[in-house]
Amino acid sequence: MEYILKNGTVYDPTNNIDGEKKDVMFKDGKIVDNVSSNAKELDVTDKIVMAAGVDPHSHIAGPKLVVGRLYRPEDSRKGIVPKTDVTRAETGFSIPSCPATGYRYSRMGYGTVIEAAMPPLEAKHTHEEIVAIPNIDIAALPLFGNNWFVLEYAKENNIDDLAALISKWLRLTRGYGVKIVNPGGSEAWGWGMNVHGVDDPVPYWDVTSREVIHALAEANEKLGLPHSIHLHPNDLGHPGNYETTVESMDIVKDVAKNSPVRNQTVHMTHIQYHSYAGTNWRDFESGAEDVAKFINNNDYVTCDVGQITLDETTTMTADAPMEFDLHQLNGLKWANKDIELETAAGIVPFIYSGRNSVHSVQWAIGLEMFMMVENPWQIMLTTDSPNAGPFIRYPRVISWLMSNKRRLEMIENGEVHKAVGRKSVIATLDREYDFNEIATISRAAPAKAYGFEDKGHLGVGARADIAVYDINPNTIDPSNDYEAIERAFGNAALTVKDGQILVKDGQVVSTKESQTIWTNVKGLEEKEAVLMEKIMPVFDKYYTVKYENYPVFDNYVPNPIEVNVQAGK
Amino acid sequence: MKNITFNQKKTSTIALEFDELIPDEVYTWEKSDFDKYMVPIGNSRFPLSDYFDVEVEGSAESPAEVIMTLNGDLGRVKYIGSKMTDGHIVANSSVDLHCGAEMSGGSITINGNAESYVGREMTGGELEITGNVKEFCGASYIGDWRGMTGGIITVHGNAGKQLGECLTGGQIHVKGNCDILAGIHMSKGFIQIDGNVPRSPGGQMLNGDILINGTLAMFLEGFDQEEIVSNPTVSGKQFNGKYIKFTGDIIRNGKGSLWLNAEKNRHLL
Repeated sequence: MEYILKNGTVYDPTNNIDGEKKDVMFKDGKIVDNVSSNAKELDVTDKIVMAAGVDPHSHIAGPKLVVGRLYRPEDSRKGIVPKTDVTRAETGFSIPSCPATGYRYSRMGYGTVIEAAMPPLEAKHTHEEIVAIPNIDIAALPLFGNNWFVLEYAKENNIDDLAALISKWLRLTRGYGVKIVNPGGSEAWGWGMNVHGVDDPVPYWDVTSREVIHALAEANEKLGLPHSIHLHPNDLGHPGNYETTVESMDIVKDVAKNSPVRNQTVHMTHIQYHSYAGTNWRDFESGAEDVAKFINNNDYVTCDVGQITLDETTTMTADAPMEFDLHQLNGLKWANKDIELETAAGIVPFIYSGRNSVHSVQWAIGLEMFMMVENPWQIMLTTDSPNAGPFIRYPRVISWLMSNKRRLEMIENGEVHKAVGRKSVIATLDREYDFNEIATISRAAPAKAYGFEDKGHLGVGARADIAVYDINPNTIDPSNDYEAIERAFGNAALTVKDGQILVKDGQVVSTKESQTIWTNVKGLEEKEAVLMEKIMPVFDKYYTVKYENYPVFDNYVPNPIEVNVQAGK
Repeated sequence: MKNITFNQKKTSTIALEFDELIPDEVYTWEKSDFDKYMVPIGNSRFPLSDYFDVEVEGSAESPAEVIMTLNGDLGRVKYIGSKMTDGHIVANSSVDLHCGAEMSGGSITINGNAESYVGREMTGGELEITGNVKEFCGASYIGDWRGMTGGIITVHGNAGKQLGECLTGGQIHVKGNCDILAGIHMSKGFIQIDGNVPRSPGGQMLNGDILINGTLAMFLEGFDQEEIVSNPTVSGKQFNGKYIKFTGDIIRNGKGSLWLNAEKNRHLL
């Protein structure tokens, strides 16, 4: 099938197209530069055309989600949408059902989402859920930062074995890249402890977070993976943690990049949670300026924000000790899980309220990061869904970014606590994002950071993943019409995925099976075999599963997009 | 004033869901609107007129001017008065689950028994049940930690387990006996039970008052006996006679009050 999207206003930062009136053509699921006279014409005059969104960090599939849904039936009562002829029934607000997840991303014009934390031992289940999510391509990042083998090789600075381990485990788990969560801290949680800062030794391992981060970054670049290490640093959510964050970014300064597509050697995730100054919750204040300054001076760093949306949500992370702290702080129910030899997880409901001074300052810190990081290619739109708020709030965050008036209104009319004025400088930052910058932070930059050459842009040969929004950029004033901005970005006029029209006027009109993007590293097969001989005695001794049952088999990934990487090239 | 009377024509084995048929929604409806209304039953909708003959008399400018009367066997009618904000509903029969759930105003009278979750998470209004209620009256929904936050529930009969679970406001008065775990996890509000209780009221309570006029067979160890008070005033209501006041639940550093009729509970002294 051939289509022409006629006369839209196109924003495609990757190809330096900034609000040009032009046609976008696609055929057989790809963007093309011409079509036959049989092509179906869709008039998108006075509408915005962008590549479909790419979410660089979200939690949408895996055991945490299941535990969250099981122990929060009160969340499943929200967001109920009856089934239609096309869609299944939807439930859930912060932790929606699998079908709802796919439909809701489609309605916002998104086409690709990264599941940011996959415990290798639970990878099979993660992929089962991915298969149950329609409409979006999904890549999952296996957790490496607390893996026993990683801790051992990092301690020995054995980068060769570490690279072979990553290569092997990406294949075993059908994973895409290297995720690191509170390196050493989640392992310490097995003993009821945590690590603080980057030089605190991991109990019983005698290795530090600094060594783990550096070794994994080196191994990542040695392999030449499409994505850099994806780092959730130590001390998440602790007052004063901005110093740990800056140190963590500095650790990989000497690691040489090995990728033709991406610019970064470290992606710092949900940076809002890591940009806190002060020493306790009473003198807690923004530390965004120092973090942003470091990012502005170092182009080897990218980040996503994890913007607080001031909703009742469900926090869930492999940073299990942090979740325990959170549970002690808010007194709400807590789920805790240990993943043997690999990681841990915790889940706690959380009510972010504009009446609470700390939550309001957190809200301000996220926005400060958006305002202070100068290059939009280095900062990306996320809410660390569902941690800082559900992903369906992206349109609202976009409206905040495009309207200083709205931000000031929220501060002045008490929608957020007055502490925002004392403990952050958000009220003095009058930057307003334009549509090109919104396209950058929500599709072009994430696609580049993940090395997706055929996503996040509308150049010839790219996947026909397209979003059309019913906004006329020539007549709208986003600063004043922020509600219209939120409405339009939340209800795409058209969402196209691989050439198939999934959404029209905010309604899901068709569905398709999701595809799983994973990285297959080639060239290390012999080293992997030698490594496995070394690993197997430990595996057999400590895992409660047999190795034969450990890998993700092909039938768990029925629609793969295999990214082949020649190790070291 | 508008009187809307539902006279049952036939029953269903699968429950009818009445959460759309509340004064807030129907105060402008004519008989023809009811005749064409499709009521949810299971995963489908069917004509309401197959199950009820609806009579409409008078008119209303607001939900407050509506009196809905439901006649027949309502044992398989769920969500009666759920989420209503005003008006009055009279159910002349026992009712199914979730009657008055999340209501914020108005009143409901049930001339019969109520299944579980009656008055669940209500925030205001009045709910009167002339018969018995089953489990989770005035409680939270499964998993939630916020139960009834306001309003008044009066039960003339007996109450089932976990009455007022996670109560965070409002008052519940049970004139009969009450099963175990009344007021578990409550943090505010008042539960009065005139009959007997087998065991464990106020488990993990943080605050609020529970008063039992009957006999409590066994109670949790997380309560300290404070004093014996004559004619106490509890939650703004005065009671005659001597009451033993306990404070707990210590296990959660709770400061809730459990008042027991001293005459009936000498075994706990």
